[in-house]
This record gives sequence, structure tokens and C-alpha cells, in this order.
Amino acid sequence: MDQPTTQVLLIEDNPGDADLVRLRLIEGKSPVNVNCVNRLSDGLASLSLETPSVVLLDLNLPDSRGAETFRRVMEHSPNVPVVVLSGQDDEILASKALHQGVQDYLVKGDISSKHLERAIRYAVERQGLLRALEITQKQQLEFKNQFLSHVSHELRTPLTCIHQYVSLLLDGLAGNMLPEQTDHLKTILKSVNQLHAMIRDLLEATRAEGGKMRIEARCVALPDLIRQAVAMLRPTADEKKIGLEIGMDSRLPLVLADPDRVLEVLINLIDNAIKFTPAEGSIVVKANMVQADVSSVYISVTDTGRGISPEAKSLIFERLYQDPDSVDNNRSGLGLGLFICREIIRLHEGRIWVSSELGQGSTFSFTLPVYSLAKLLAPIVVHEGHLRPAFVLVRIDLTPLSNPPRGNWKESWQQCLETLRRCVYLDKDLVLPPMGSAGATETFFVVASTDLQRSGVMTTRIRAQLERVGDLKSKCRVTVTTIPVDLAPTPAGTTMDQQVDTLAELVTQMILINSERTHSKTEPTRRKLN
Amino acid sequence: MSKSKILVVDDDPDLVRALRLRLRANNYEVSTASDGYSAIASAQKERPALIILDLGLPVGDGFVVLDRLQNSDTLAGVPVIVLSARDPQANEERALRAGAAAFFQKPADNDELMNVIRISLGPGTEAKAAWPS
Repeated sequence: MDQPTTQVLLIEDNPGDADLVRLRLIEGKSPVNVNCVNRLSDGLASLSLETPSVVLLDLNLPDSRGAETFRRVMEHSPNVPVVVLSGQDDEILASKALHQGVQDYLVKGDISSKHLERAIRYAVERQGLLRALEITQKQQLEFKNQFLSHVSHELRTPLTCIHQYVSLLLDGLAGNMLPEQTDHLKTILKSVNQLHAMIRDLLEATRAEGGKMRIEARCVALPDLIRQAVAMLRPTADEKKIGLEIGMDSRLPLVLADPDRVLEVLINLIDNAIKFTPAEGSIVVKANMVQADVSSVYISVTDTGRGISPEAKSLIFERLYQDPDSVDNNRSGLGLGLFICREIIRLHEGRIWVSSELGQGSTFSFTLPVYSLAKLLAPIVVHEGHLRPAFVLVRIDLTPLSNPPRGNWKESWQQCLETLRRCVYLDKDLVLPPMGSAGATETFFVVASTDLQRSGVMTTRIRAQLERVGDLKSKCRVTVTTIPVDLAPTPAGTTMDQQVDTLAELVTQMILINSERTHSKTEPTRRKLN
Repeated sequence: MSKSKILVVDDDPDLVRALRLRLRANNYEVSTASDGYSAIASAQKERPALIILDLGLPVGDGFVVLDRLQNSDTLAGVPVIVLSARDPQANEERALRAGAAAFFQKPADNDELMNVIRISLGPGTEAKAAWPS
């Protein structure tokens, strides 16, 4: 019978040992092909080129010693079985090796060819089983996710029907309702909405768990988002006679964040606060900077509710956690909300935590990274050790002709952004990351190293190029405005970093002032069940 | 002014009935279809001003319908609002790319749905303008 040839990579620096092992291998009954190298680096290089059936590994090599040797081999090729060939009979090292996934630990002096042959065969076999197990686990996770996705779809269909008919009745489209009937229907609708939220959370948590949750970070003015979240929850708070206040630093920096996702976190935290705060209580949403950490904005939601026990505090962000005290008087959902919040903030590279004492209320806080314009600007505005002489801020607004915008609005403005990037000089102009806007108007900014007089060439080019973007003209109005950046002369002794910081600060202020003006006017619209 | 006609395509008869009641109450004329094939046939015969389309349909799903509509000389300009229970992350982009004017996940907010219908039908000729593909 034709047996497949076993490909052995032998990493061994002692020529005598190498010859011995080779001899033992060749003596065996099954066909074998031995490739011998005497350094770990050569071994890893060989592994990059081709995958052997097994690696026979001496631990003490010229370029690596001890446990480090097998750790590096397995890190490089986790799917190839590794058999350690050691000079000494070291039980502790052997057990460590096996714990870390080495298939066998053989002592050179004890090896017979029969023994070695069998050790290799079993190592290959075991590694194959492990691999199969891993694949099965992955498939199971995938299956679970598909199943949940399917279930959530199937649950939505009857839920939609209930929702439709309850709204028909509530809207008086099937005749007038008595006040008491209307009341009952509103209770049904509330439960339908809860059920809907649970289905959504279920899907979202599944996504987070499978590493499929995505964020699209943009340059965001946080005050808009906070106001939007508070405005959405104001009616719920009013209903319970709970005060809902905002306290923000007047000069908050922009953050690098996904506005939709951050809004989701804010809504979740404020909604929770309302849920756990008794009537006449109060909630404050704050956003501020902390002196010790200038690279983050701190956002917090503080309530005067009953607080959280120390045991609960450590578990509250875990999946499926539920407050044991809330089950009887409040339906608290699936216990996925805070888990989803944590995952969203984690993807932003921020932190989320809670501080609370029983009976004293709670504060949920999270951080978002400050969007650092200085870091982005530095390579553009500094030329041969000097700050360039003049800058302008070019502002491009895309105002949709209809609300909601026609067709795929996101795709349209992304196309514009791409076009803009092609309109500027890469070494002296910078198209800023898009601003997260609450309204329908999409605004882009370009910092250009030129003066107002000469910027006309650029704006003309931008206008001309944008006109050519697909069917943009039929969808929105494009306006291009240029604003000079009035940078005060720098006092002697300011470092280049400080100059860039000053410029970035100035540009940021200009952007904030400019975007406040337009976006605060437009009332946010969001898909929400009523 | 005559009422605008809306074609509702969904294989759940209960949902179709509820939508019909609501659309009629909003002064629209309503015709219905329950699968992909009859959706196209109906659209050709009835010439609706707007179509509300489910994605999971028998005999040609929503994407097939969208594709047929886009490739039809007479129907390419009719705005289509997708109303589906499917996950927007996987389907919204695709539906809009295929020519839909809007995507709503079920259960959708009725006020918002009515609002988008009103805007899509637009004043005068706007609804007949070529829709982005």
C-alpha cells in the first residue's frame, strides 16, 4: 500500500543529534522526508514556505532557548503539530510545553525509531482532531448567529402585524375608541415596542459577540448628539416627572466617533436612568474634559435612583445581566443594553464604567477619543521647518433637495468626499474627516495652505469636479465657501508643535462655530416606534 | 385631483389589509399583490404612482422585483419603498443600490412611513423624475 510521505521539519543545531534523529526516522517503516535546519529563524522561514506534517524541535538553539522556542514556532504556525526533542528529562518544562499546545515531549536519549515513528503519527492525528474541533466550534457559532438572525426575522413578522392593527385602532381608523380602550391599546403598543427593542438587542449582541459589530468613526460635535438624545427621551422623563438636564463644558472638543452608535449609547444610558429613578427625581447628562487626560471627552449620566450594589457593579456590563431587584416591578429587557453599550465604546477605544452607592443614585460614564486635528495637520502645514504662510478653511455643503434625501444619500456624499480628496494637493491641503451632522445637510471642510486670493482656483476646481459627480445635481445643492484662517503672528520661542496646536485649535473653533449655525436649526429625525 | 395609486406587495395578507386601511384613510387608492410575479403584472396593469415592497416574497423575491422594475421602460421611474423584516445591515444598502427610494424595517413607524410616501409622491411631476439606480 502506498503510504503518504511524512514531511518532517527538524530544527536541531547539534549535528550529532540531527544525524541520529534522521537515522531513526529513516529506519522506520513509513516513508519520510526530512528537512533539517539548525537555527530557529531558518525553521520559521521554512515554515513560511511550506507546511510540513510535523516539526521536531530542539529547544536550545543558537537563536532561541527553552520555552520561548516552542512558543515562537506555535505562534508562527499554530496548525502544525510540534514534537519537542529535548536533551534533558525536565518534567516541569515538559508539562509547560504540553499545556501550551506542544503535541509531545521526547527525551533524545530514549528515542527508538519505532517510538519516534509512533509519536509522530499520534501527534499528527491529535493535531488534526484539534483542528477539526476548532472548525466545528466556529461553525456552531456561525450557526447560532444565523439562527438568531432567522428567529429575529420570523418574530418581526407577527409583531409587525400586531403593531399595525393596534396603531389602526389607536389612530381611530376603525372607529372611535373609548378613553379606557385607548388606554389599553397604548399598553399593548408599549409592550410591542419593548418586544421590538429586545429583538433588536438580541441581533446586535449576537453581532458584537461574533466580532461583526462595526463603527464608522467621524468627526463629531458631541453637544448636538447629547441634545438629540435628551430631546428624544424628554417625553418619557416628563411622564415620570423626572428632571432631565444637560451640563456641558462650553468648549468641548470634537470627538472621533460614530454618531449613530454614540446616540444609541446615550439613549440607552438615559433610558435606564429614567427607568431606575423614582418620580420627582432628576437626571443630569454631562460632558466635560478632565485635566489628567486631555485626549478624551468624559460623558456621564447621573441619576438620583436607588443605586447599584457593589456586586452588581462588577457584573452590570456583562451579557444577559439583569438587576435582580427590578424583575418584579419593572420589565428590564434581556439584559443586553449595557453589554451593547460596552461593545460600542470598546470599538471607539473608549472606556465605560459605573460609580454608584446604594440609595445614592448612580453615574454611568464613558470616554470618547478627542479628535486631534493637530496630529492630522502637522504633516500638511509645516514645510521645511516653518509653518506655511497662509491658510484658508474651505467649507462644502451638500443640502439635499428633499427630506429625506433621494436614493442612497450616504453613497452620494461619500462619492463627493472621494472627489474632494482628488481636488486638493496632498502635501499642503487636508480634507477633514466628515462631520457627524444631526441634520440632513452634509458638510465637509478642507484646510488649504493658500491665501484667500489664490484659493479661488481651488474652489473653482472643487465646484467643477463636484458637478461631474453622478447625479449629484439632481439630489442636492452644493455650496462652497472660503474662510480665511486669521492666525496671529507667533511670539518668539514658540515650538513648532505649539504653533501647529494653535492653528489646529483655531481651525477647530472655526469649524464649531460654522457647524453650530446650520445644524442646530434642523430638528433630528430618526426611525423610532411610537 | 385624483387619488394617487399605491401598490402594496407583501405575502402576509393580514399586514396587507392593515396597510390598505391606513393608506385609504390617508386618501390613497390601493392595489395589492402577494408575490413577485403578480407584483410585476400588477404594476404593469395598474400603473401605480408608488410601490411598497416586501423583500421575502414567493415567486421572485423583492430584489428580483426591484430589478424588473428598474429595467422596465414604463416602470423605472416609480418610487419603491421597501418594507421588510430583514436585517437592514445586510439589506438596506443592497435595496437602495437596486433602486429603492427608502428602506423601512418592520415594524415601521407609520407616521414616518406616510411621511416618506408623501415626499416620494412629491408635488406634481417630481415622482415621475428618473430615480437613481
